[in-house]
Formats: sequence, C-alpha cells, structure tokens
Amino acid sequence: MWASASFVGVLIIIGLPLWWKTTEVYRVTLPYDQISAFDQLPRTISTDLKILANDEATASELAALIEVAFEDSNTIKPKIHKAVLSDELHHALESVADEHDAVDEVAAAYNLTAHNCFYVVQRRPLFQQVWLAGERVMFFRDSEDAPIVVEALQKWVYQMSVLDGGRADNAADSARRTRLPPSAGYHVVLSVVHPTPDKLKVNFDAKEAVEDYIGSFVDELSILHNFTLKSQWLYLLNFDFQAREMKDNSDSGRHYSVRRDRLHRLLTALEERAATHVAALPTVNLAMYLVPCRMAPLVIYHDVAKPVLAPVQAFMSPKWGGVVLASPEEVDCTPQAVWHPNTRLIMGTFLAQLRPLLGIPDTAFISGAFLEPLRSVSPRRWELDALLRLRTLEQITTAQRTLQSLAQLLGEISNIVINDEVGASINSAVENIQKASVLAAEGDIIAAYETSKRAYLAAETAFMDPSLLALLYFPDDQKYAIYIPLFLPIMFPVVLSLKNLLLWFRGKPVHKDKTD
Amino acid sequence: MAVLLIIFMTAVFGAFGDDFIEEIFIKPLPPTHLYSYFQFITLINNNDSFVHSNLSPRSIGEVISRFKVEELHLTLTEGQWRHNQWGYPVVDAAPGAELYAWFDPEVEDIDAEWRKLSATLSGLFCASLNFIDSFNTITPQMALWPTGPVKSNVNVTSLLRYASLPREIVCTENLTPWKKLLPCESSRGFSALLNSRMIHNTNYHSIGVHVRKVCASEDCTETKLEIKQTVALVYDYKIIGSNNWSFIKLFGHGLPGACPLATTSTIYIDITSNVTFPFQLSPPPDKIVSSHRGGSVTNLAVYNIETDVEMINVGVKHNSKEKLGVNVPPPLHFNRYVLGYGKEFGGIVTELINNYWTAIDVVVLENAPWWLPIQLSSLRINSEAESKLVKSQYYSPGRSRQKPYHLELLLTLPPRSTTTITIDFEFVFLKWQEYPPDANHGFYIGSAIVTANLPTAKNYTSIPVSGISYNSTFNASQPWYPAVFRTNGAMVSLPTPDFSMPYNVICLACTVVALAFGPLHNICTKELLLKPIGTPLSLTQKVLNFFKRKKE
Repeated sequence: MWASASFVGVLIIIGLPLWWKTTEVYRVTLPYDQISAFDQLPRTISTDLKILANDEATASELAALIEVAFEDSNTIKPKIHKAVLSDELHHALESVADEHDAVDEVAAAYNLTAHNCFYVVQRRPLFQQVWLAGERVMFFRDSEDAPIVVEALQKWVYQMSVLDGGRADNAADSARRTRLPPSAGYHVVLSVVHPTPDKLKVNFDAKEAVEDYIGSFVDELSILHNFTLKSQWLYLLNFDFQAREMKDNSDSGRHYSVRRDRLHRLLTALEERAATHVAALPTVNLAMYLVPCRMAPLVIYHDVAKPVLAPVQAFMSPKWGGVVLASPEEVDCTPQAVWHPNTRLIMGTFLAQLRPLLGIPDTAFISGAFLEPLRSVSPRRWELDALLRLRTLEQITTAQRTLQSLAQLLGEISNIVINDEVGASINSAVENIQKASVLAAEGDIIAAYETSKRAYLAAETAFMDPSLLALLYFPDDQKYAIYIPLFLPIMFPVVLSLKNLLLWFRGKPVHKDKTD
Repeated sequence: MAVLLIIFMTAVFGAFGDDFIEEIFIKPLPPTHLYSYFQFITLINNNDSFVHSNLSPRSIGEVISRFKVEELHLTLTEGQWRHNQWGYPVVDAAPGAELYAWFDPEVEDIDAEWRKLSATLSGLFCASLNFIDSFNTITPQMALWPTGPVKSNVNVTSLLRYASLPREIVCTENLTPWKKLLPCESSRGFSALLNSRMIHNTNYHSIGVHVRKVCASEDCTETKLEIKQTVALVYDYKIIGSNNWSFIKLFGHGLPGACPLATTSTIYIDITSNVTFPFQLSPPPDKIVSSHRGGSVTNLAVYNIETDVEMINVGVKHNSKEKLGVNVPPPLHFNRYVLGYGKEFGGIVTELINNYWTAIDVVVLENAPWWLPIQLSSLRINSEAESKLVKSQYYSPGRSRQKPYHLELLLTLPPRSTTTITIDFEFVFLKWQEYPPDANHGFYIGSAIVTANLPTAKNYTSIPVSGISYNSTFNASQPWYPAVFRTNGAMVSLPTPDFSMPYNVICLACTVVALAFGPLHNICTKELLLKPIGTPLSLTQKVLNFFKRKKE
C-alpha cells in the first residue's frame, strides 16, 4: 500500500501541480473587480453656471427652469449659483450700447477666464432675446426668455447631444463619426497638389499659410493636444475627375462639373502619395488641389444638374481631413501669368473643416437666440470648454471600454500573456480612470482631462501591446496531442488505485476476506 | 526658347530652395552586357524642408528628422555585380538588403533608434528590414566613412550602424514605394522608364536611397541635404535579343521628356568602347565630352532632355556582328567562397586580386552571423598565421543570438598579386524555431565589404565625394579614388534536423514509458495472496470459467 501511495504522491501531488505551474500562461494579477465596477463610478461632469439677474425672482425662476431641464442628463450636471446684479454693474449693463462693451463690463466684475464656468447675465436693452458671442457670457432680456436660454445652454454651450454621443455605447452620432479619435497630439499636414507644374505657375507659400492660419487656431487648442504643423507639395498627381463642360452666365461662359460620388476616388489617389502613414501621431490631412487650367473653374455637383453653390469648392472626409479644389481664373492661365491663390478664403475653408475634425461641432439655429458669427480663427471660449468636457468624457469612456474588452478577451482566450509592463499600464489606466471620474464629477475639468488622457493612452498601450499575442498561435489541440499519449496510460492505474488507498486510510480491510 | 524656359522654371522652383536633378548613365559592358544607372537627386537648401517639403519626399524627411539620422544608405539588390567582368559600378551594393546610417551625436540610445529606423523603413519600402536587430548589426571601424561633411571633433564611428539581409528578395513591391518618393513619381521624366516588368528582367538590379549632407558654401559652414535615389541595371544582350539596344528594347517604351520640376535632365552614354566595338548612336547626341581622369580617357555622349518633346528613343546600332573581346579585369577584384565538407567545420575564403603595378591599401570587413562562429586564431593570410600584409586589425567576437562576428583587416596588397584571406568557422545547431522556412535551401552569408583607395581611375565610374551630379566626374583627377565594394555573398548549409522528428520522438517515448509503467505499477502495488482450494467461486470467476470451457 505504501508503494501505491508513493505513486499517487509523486504523480498527483507533486507532478500535476508542477506541470500546471510550468505550462501556465504568464499573467500578472489584474484588478478585474475594479474593471467590472466602472459602472458605479460617477458618470457626470460638473460645471459652474452663474446666473446674474436684475432681481431675485428672475434669477430663481431661470435657475429652477435650468435645473429641471438638466435633471435627466446623465452626462452633465450644472452647479447653479444665482445672484442679483450689483447696482453698479446693473447700471453699466443698462447704459452701454454695444454688447461687446457689456461683456467687458461683466469681465471687469467677474473672472471670465476660468474654464468650465459660464455666466448667464440679464441685460434689458437687448435686440434679441438671447445673445452669445465668443466669451463665457450669455445675455438674456427678461424672465420670459428663460426657455430660449435653456435651449441655448443645451444646444450651444453644453452641446448635450454631442456629449451624450461621446458616452453612447454603440450608436455613434455624426459628430463622433467626424472627429478624430482622442490622441496626445496630431500632425496637421497641408498638401498642395499641383497636377500641372509645367503649365500653371503658382505662387503660394504653404509654410506661411499653414503657420499663420492653422497655427493660430491650434494654438488655442494647445491645452488639449500638441500639434505639429507640416506642409508638402505633391506634383503631377493626375486625377481623372471625369469633368464635363457646362454652359453658364459667367465671363468665360462655361465651367466644369464633377459629380460628388466621384470625389472619394480623389482621396484614394491622395492617400497613395501623401505619406500619411509615416508619422507617429494621427494625421489631419488638408489637401489643396490646384485644378488644371483645362478644367477650371471646377464645380462639385450633387447630381447631374445641381451644383454646390459655394465660393470655395471643398469637401471633407470624416476622420481623415479636408480637400479644397482651388480653380485658377482665366487670366491666371495665360503663359506669363503667375497665379496667387486666395489664401484667406482657402485657409478659412480648411479652418471650417478642421473644427468638426477636432471635435467642435457646428451650431444649430435657435429661433430668438443670436450667436455672433466667428470673426477670427480662434475658437469661442465656451466651445473650448465644451471640447474639454467632451474629450474628458470620451477618453474615460473609451479607456473603460478598452479595459472591459481586454478583460473579456482574457476570459475567452486563455493563452494571452500579460507581462509586467502591460500589467502596469492596465493598473495605471484603472487608477487614472477612477481619479478622472472623481475629478470630472467635482468639476476640475483641466485636471480631469489630463488624467483621462493618461488613462486613455495607458489603456490603448496595454490593449495594443504586441506581447499579448505571443502565444496566441500555439493551438490547444497540439498540446493535447503531446500530453495524451503520456498522461492517459500512466494516470489510469494510478487513479484506479486511489479507491483502495482510500479504504486503506480509513482502516478498512482492502481485500475482502474470501476464506470464510 | 527652351533654354529660357528652363531658366524660368529654375527661378520659380528655386524659390522653395529645392533642386531636382535627374540623370541616366549608360555604359556598355562588352561583349555581352549593358549597364544603365539612374540617379535622381533632390537638394534641400533650408533645413525647414523636413517640415515643409516641396520637392523632397516628406516621408524620408519625417524618418530622418524623427530618428536624427545624419546620413543614410539603403540599397535593395537582386543579383551579383561581377567586378572582374563588368568593372566598377557608380554605387556598389550588397545582394539583398543593406542599410547603414550615421546618427546625430545627440542621440542617446543609438541601438534603440536604429531598430526603430529599420522598422520604419521596412514599412516604407515593403522590405523585411524589420528583421534587423542587434544580432545582425555591426559598427564598422574602418571600412565605412560618411560621404558628407562631419565635424572634426566627433567620433563618427560610434554613431554608425550597419546591417545587411542577404536573403531579402527584391521585387516590384519595393520599386513602387521607391518611385513614390520622386517628385515626378513615375508619370513624367526619367522615372517613367522604370517599368517594373522590364527592369526585373535583368541580370542585376539595385535600387537605393542615399541621404547625406553636402556643403552649401565653400568653407562648409552651411550644409544642404541631398536625397539621392539610384537604380542600377545590368542588361544581358541575350535577354534583349541583340546587342543593338534602344530605350524601347530596354524599358518597354521611349522617354516622354524630362520631369518638369527638374533643374537638369541629362543622359550620359559611355562611348569609349566605340573604338573596339563600333556603333552608331541615334538620335545623335547634343555633345560629346572627353574626360581625362587619372590617366584614363572616357568619351561620353551627352543628351540634354527638355520637358516638352516627343518620345525620345535613344539607341545604338552596332556596325558588325558580335565580336569576342578579351576581358581585361579591373585593377582590383575579388572572389569569395566557402570551404570544407561535412557538418562540423568550414571556412570562408576571400581572394583579393591586385592587377596594378603598385600596392593597394584595402580594408576588408568580414561580417559573419552568430550561427557561424569564426575564430580569429584560424585567420590565415596566404596560408600564414602572421602576415606582414596586415597593417591593422579589429575583431569583435560574436555572442550567441545577440551579436554577429565582425573582423576588419587593413591590408596592403602587393603589386600584381593574389591575396587569400581564410578564416575557419564551426557549424552551430540552431533551436528549432530559429530555422527559416525551407531550411534546406541553405543559409546566406552576407558580402564582405572591401574599401580601397584605388591609385588609378581605370574602370572607375563613381562620383567624387564632393560632387553631386554626374558631370562632376569629368576630368576629376585625384591622387587616389576611394571606392567601397561588396564581394559576392556565399551560402552554407547548416545541420538541419528533420522537423517532424520532435513530435515522433515525443509520441514514441510516451508510448514506451506508458507501456513500461503499467507492469511496473502492478508489480509495485499488487500483493500475491494464496488462495485455498475448494473455496466457492465468485460470480465473475464462474463467468470466466464458462468462457474458458467454451474455448476448449
């Protein structure tokens, strides 16, 4: 019996655990409980909203209305502070004629530079019911306009639908489909495409254009991302637009039409030459196609007979970039002429394309409310705040979802290795997600953004690490093919002897007394 | 009019500070081959052009600036340049892929940047350069020197990394991304001739990218960046069908004019051999230049190509039928082969032949992979262990799976002599995962590098270090002519196991163990008991007895 027990001892008690340990896939212990508990983290972002009215009643009424409107939101929670305007400021607001001077008056009394803090101020001598410009101040006339104030807050200032879209699980809204995924930085590359360098002389300083226009725009966004500005010229990239000559009433009496559904092929042709893939960071491509003289001016057509009526012919590809088709005038096509493209107009178009690509959505129309059109290249201050909130939320959500999918994959596929480095990035991602959620709920938006960015980057690094796949292609059936011939015949007698061994341990006779 | 146009174009594009030069150099290699060499040079005047590029390829600029590379040479080659028959090429290249680069002195971890650089270039050129790692990278000490200006107080050797992949197969997928780096791509200019169907139908083809700094001013305080893309092709008259060649025969179609962005577009045809093998050029060249370089005379027919011209089909018609000529080998040529039999020991032999009447100093770099350990103790030169020919020697032993073996010798080759360098190696067993697919094909050993300062310009076609375009070779006599050559590669067959063997062994061993284990277990655990006669039979025994009786 001792012999039997020693077989069992060697094979089952020592051998099996040893085999198990040596063939185990290396995995660092991961905080699965914390990953599955992400849903219990605070999900909202707090923001300060100050209501300044002429009297207590108006302020309270507006505050109550706003509170009701934002009650159901699970993304944003305004912390409303109401106050009555001081007599001095009240007087000043009533007396100044221009709205911008009124903004200056508010700025003198309150700090308008703080991120994530917005002011709704009453101002009686207002032509519109609600007025909003680039600063973090919105004016309204009186308490009757409260519903419009609420709508403007929801649609413009807090961009509720876009923010909800950043959180949504699968159905991506159009803003999300357009903007580039979050990243620590972006390359913005202006490609000037010149198909006929021998026939058309062009004077265009790509470097100056990109640094002047794009540079001053992205400088305002430097709090969010690092931007690298680049430009290149691509010559002799001939693209067959299948342009058709159309008669019109212009001086030349004709223009050329290109069908809208033809344009995506231009992107393919550009992608071949533009070297978008060599950069370390995601690239925003801005392509300026200098239309050859033989098909200028080129107009994009929705279908056979419906031209796009715009001063600049341009189109945008979501998550890729924008293209402007710049057509020379007839005088520029004479042999001696040198064409100076309208830099202001073209770069303005690129800026308009860059805004949704970087996450600033277009504003909807609200009747009764006036939104001052953009005068300079820089984005509005409250748009910047909205972008900060959106990116924070998006980064937290994406990081959470990445980790959850990784946890699910680890459960489903048993031979994924998690080495110490990947384990460290997962742990740091989890930690930063928790921190960022708390910071966002407290309303410290800058810190929340930075933390969420770290979480997002750590989660992506962990998920994309090539070491995860090291053992993925070693199939299970091969392991069994090797182990079965050894283990099955050996374990059979050993396992069968267990019964006798158990009886012997309990002190029962192993063999039945057959003598009688 | 045409000249005016060129000047005007230069003025327009010169404003960006970039210049683009395209050149073709064609040299018959009598009696049976034809060498054609293309070079496309982009000169970038201001350093901003990395970020804001005009004629230069942005992807190369991105790579150069990201990894802080000072000078870079990448060649992808198929076939073997035969120095003893063909003379010397303008740029020599090792068979397969070869990459070497000097990094900026500010780079902290050169090895890490080197790996990233090779991985990025691998993606850019669709080549397997991502297999470059520390186990096949060396730092040549004497054989390679930067071709651009360097600061005198910098130790350039420590900034250099060199690797070659002799197994790499070069094909169209490498040519297509290479062509995309050119400002005219393949639509216009000389690059339109590079039709992959035709140029891969050659005895030898090599494409390359060479990035270096060149002096912009006399005292070299300012530098510009030169990106040179090269193609070298050697056609065999047997493949073309006759020794009367033309662009249509070589490239499939004629030349559609120059690239409109190029400052100069020139074709040079070496007509020196016209004396021995008379031929006529059509169309007639714009001018004929006679270049005296180091005592040898080269006659070149020059064509200046303009943008708006009809198809140009430069061709040659020989007057007489094919003649056999006596092949006069160049002053220095070499040969390399593997010695030994069996699967235990072997040796590599490099023969260097000096035909010239003075001694030639050469540096020979042997680069053996870690699985081919070469022992310095077995080094013999002309069968002598201690040779007076060796002036200097550098040996860096390899380490298994980490570092290749690296031997450099500075030799003086005596006049009219053959010098044989022999070094022995042992065969190594690899781990089963380290064998490449089709392991029985054999293992490639990279070429040795031979760096020489040639005393004569005979057969020498390279551009001087300070020169940029091909016309800088005209009358460029120097005291000596620096050249870097690659010998032919070699192949060894390592001991290769039967790859299904491990599984068979496991199965067999397991079965034997299992068979042995059963009785062993029984003997150890079962007791033998005496059974008294006459005891009543149990049910099972009754059944067994029943069957036994049946049998009987």
